[in-house]
Amino acid sequence: MKTIHIFILFIGLAIAQLFVPAQMIFNKESIISNGAAYKFKTQPVDPSDPYRGKYINLNYDVRAYKTTDSIWERKDKVYVYLETDSLGFAKVSEVSKEPLNTSKDFIIAEVGWYSKIEQELNFNLPFNRYYMEETKAYDAEVAVRNNQRDSLPNNTYALVYIKNGEAVLNDVVINEISIKDYVDKVD
Amino acid sequence: MNSKILNDIKELVEEQVISNKVAANIENYYKSKKADSPNRLFTVFAVLGSTLVGLGIILILAHNWDDFSRSIKTIFAFAPLIIGQLIVGYTILKKKNTTWREASGVFLFFAVGASMALVSQIYNIPGNFSSYMLTWILLCAPLIYLLKSNALAILHIVFTTNYACAFGYFNGNQTPWLYILLLAILIPHYYLLLKNKKTHNITSIFNWLIPLSVIIVLGAFVDRTEELGFLMYVILFGLLYNIGKLPFFDNQKLRRNGHLVLGSLGTIYMLLLTSFEWLWKDILRHDMVFGTQEMYVSLILFISTIGVLIFSYSKKWIQNFNLFQYVFILFSIIFFIGMSGSFASIALINFLILALGILAIKIGADKFHFGILNYGLLIITALIACRFFDTNMSFVIRGLLFVGVGVGFFFTNYIMLKRQKLNK
Repeated sequence: MKTIHIFILFIGLAIAQLFVPAQMIFNKESIISNGAAYKFKTQPVDPSDPYRGKYINLNYDVRAYKTTDSIWERKDKVYVYLETDSLGFAKVSEVSKEPLNTSKDFIIAEVGWYSKIEQELNFNLPFNRYYMEETKAYDAEVAVRNNQRDSLPNNTYALVYIKNGEAVLNDVVINEISIKDYVDKVD
Repeated sequence: MNSKILNDIKELVEEQVISNKVAANIENYYKSKKADSPNRLFTVFAVLGSTLVGLGIILILAHNWDDFSRSIKTIFAFAPLIIGQLIVGYTILKKKNTTWREASGVFLFFAVGASMALVSQIYNIPGNFSSYMLTWILLCAPLIYLLKSNALAILHIVFTTNYACAFGYFNGNQTPWLYILLLAILIPHYYLLLKNKKTHNITSIFNWLIPLSVIIVLGAFVDRTEELGFLMYVILFGLLYNIGKLPFFDNQKLRRNGHLVLGSLGTIYMLLLTSFEWLWKDILRHDMVFGTQEMYVSLILFISTIGVLIFSYSKKWIQNFNLFQYVFILFSIIFFIGMSGSFASIALINFLILALGILAIKIGADKFHFGILNYGLLIITALIACRFFDTNMSFVIRGLLFVGVGVGFFFTNYIMLKRQKLNK
């Protein structure tokens, strides 16, 4: 094969290599600018990933829904439809295996397990990672834990933008302050 | 030129073993040979260097710099990628040598991973680990062929194995079918190596890495009927052994023949494992289900192995009877006898191991190969050691058996040594 042909093929590959991360960015940016914002009450804990660094894992209060439908396979897709409660936090309006014909926002979550006793479906929301600067991730977990020890109700939430079933976790907020700044303030 | 050779030539001239003219000829030969091949050591260090730099960039980005705005982070995500692409483009256009091709390719490989990782961080995309790995591998796979790079091929197989393990073992019980595709991507490269660089060290690396990767991943193809996993592995090791027995591989040094060595060791390991009674009791607790995924995988492996055997026969490559090549057939029969609830299978497996041990000793003695001879003795020792755990033999008999095998070790090696001296 001639050099020029190899080079043309390489240019094609290079474009693909650039396109994948760029497409990820455009997709997420469009969700942030056009999607609806929801607040999910949450609790963070701190693990890490070998390539992508430290993140805090978020345990959401929205993680189960009472339903009489008991046939769920672990790791299956579940469409979770959302609405807002009186305090402005997200809550589940209904769950379904198939997309429903409604204008409500939804996210595609993963089935965890179904509890027959409580007739409750447990699911994992697809935005449970919040990446942080490595020195701050553990402090953030401690800060949240301390914050919850006071008598006030849980006031840590994740700000999530949602559009067409896809979500972007934009920020984690404690007492109306972004968790990045909150950690600095506590120091 | 190698300084050792230079010294040897000097010595030979001084001792008047060779004339000055011959010495000059030898020196010229080595000089011309060296001019053809680029500096291999330099290539190795260049590859190591770019691996470290690439990994370093990933780690630095993984710090997750909070102080930078989203747009600056985005620029950081693309910078290493674009730099890597420019270097690779330059290498291709200017037809640079192997060192350039290997090193720039490896750098670009890690840059692709780094840029995707950083975008995931910026937008908090949890995206599971295996799908991230899959995109990464696929985006870099064509580079193996565009740059004709062995380092990239090695990275490809290592990351593919890592992906299949993450997908098949750690992310729940799924079957990594895409692993077959990823492995197939590598086959043309491996074929070219076998064809053009049969005896090079780099080819032997692949002779070991490819079977090793398949062995690691095969377990992920077990879905629910776990018992059949044993059968799958025995047949796979049979396939590897038979591939290793093809004259193309068999005529090379044993250390280059990963297929044969892994196939043989794996066969013995699986047989020893299935020679325990508790294992069969465990297997028999489940009912046999036909038509499962494992059954089809076993069947495909079985047919491929038979195919290799028939091919070898048609080419008249198989002259002597070698039990190792047929173990997978015998084991398949024994396995189904065992599944029907008969413990005769355990006795048969024990006999099979014994026969293989004796056969290895015979092959070793015929070939004057101490390694194979002692491998046979080790097989028998392992068999006896295993029976220590689940039989009620008296200690005296067990002791006598061990003394017997120990004497056997001395005796056979001694006879071999003597025969070898006689032949000289």
